[in-house]
Amino acid sequence: MDSVLRAAAMYLALMVLFKIAGRRSLAELTTFDFVLLMMIGEATQQALLGDDFSITNGILVIVTLIAIDVGLSLLKQRSSWASRLIDGEPTIIVENGKLLRQRLRHARLVEADIMEAARSSQGIEKLEEIKFAIIERNGKISVIPQER
Amino acid sequence: MNDDAEHPDLHGRKFPVREDMAYQLKVWRFERCGWYMLVLLVVLGLAGLFSRGLLSTRDVRSDDGRVRVQYEMFHRNGSTNSMKISVSGPPESTVELELAGEILEGFSIETLQPEPARARSSAQGIRLWVQTDTQGQAELFVTLRGDGLGLFHSRIVLPGSNDVKLAQFIFP
Repeated sequence: MDSVLRAAAMYLALMVLFKIAGRRSLAELTTFDFVLLMMIGEATQQALLGDDFSITNGILVIVTLIAIDVGLSLLKQRSSWASRLIDGEPTIIVENGKLLRQRLRHARLVEADIMEAARSSQGIEKLEEIKFAIIERNGKISVIPQER
Repeated sequence: MNDDAEHPDLHGRKFPVREDMAYQLKVWRFERCGWYMLVLLVVLGLAGLFSRGLLSTRDVRSDDGRVRVQYEMFHRNGSTNSMKISVSGPPESTVELELAGEILEGFSIETLQPEPARARSSAQGIRLWVQTDTQGQAELFVTLRGDGLGLFHSRIVLPGSNDVKLAQFIFP
C-alpha cells in the first residue's frame, strides 16, 4: 500500500513544485539545469522506493506513476478546466515588435531570452523583426517573424 | 496587483492565441506566493522543524532534576536520531528506569548503550536497570528510528521521581 501512496504523493508534490517554478524553469536545459534535474531525480528516487529495493516495489511505483499520468491526460482531454490547470496557457510576450514588459516581469524573462529564441529558431537579429513571441505551454518561446 | 491588471500590456489578446489574462495573472500570483512558501520551508528546515535543529532539539528534566532527557521532537519516517537519558541515584548501584507510553509503537530502538544490567517488558513499555557511577550518575544513549507517522506521547519514569513526558512527531 505504501508504495502506491509514496508514488502518488511524490507525483503530486513534484507537480506542485514545478508549477511554482513556472513553465520556463526546465524548458531549455542549460548544463546546470541538467545537473539540477539529476539531483532532483536522485532525491526523488530515495523517497519513492524507501528501503525496499525489490522488483515488485519498483514495478508498483512505476505502474502507479504511469497510471496517474495516463489518468491525468484522460482528464485533460475531457475537461478544458483541468487541462488549463495542469498545462497552463500560452502567453504573448512580444506584439508587433514591441515587448510587453509587464508580462515579461511576471514571467521572469528578459529581452535576451526572447532574442535568443528568435535567433535560434528564425535567424532574427532585431526585436522589430518579430511579429509575435509567445511562451508556449511547455515553456519554450516560439517566434513569428514580421512579414516582409 | 489590481492596478497592475489595468496595464494595457496585461489585457488579454485574441490573436494569434486566445488568452485569459485574468487566469494567467492568477498563475503568476500563485508562482510568486509559492516562491515565498518555498523560502519559508527552507527557513523552517534550517530552524529544525523537520528534525535536527533549534526547534526540534529538546532538553527536559523531571521536577526534582533526577532525570534529564535530551531528544529530538521532530523525526522523519525511516531516519534515526539519538536520545540521551541521564539519571541520578545512589552511587555504584542499579537504577530502575522505564520507557513507557507510545515510544515503542512509533519508534524502534536501534541501539541502546551502554547495555543495561537487566531489562524486561512491563505493561506500559520496557523497564531497564542501569548501573550508576561513583557520583551516582548514569547515562543511556538510545538510537531511535522513526517507524510510525504522527504524534507519539511517551514517558520516562524513574520510580520515586516525577515522570518526564516526551512528545515526538514523525513526518512521513
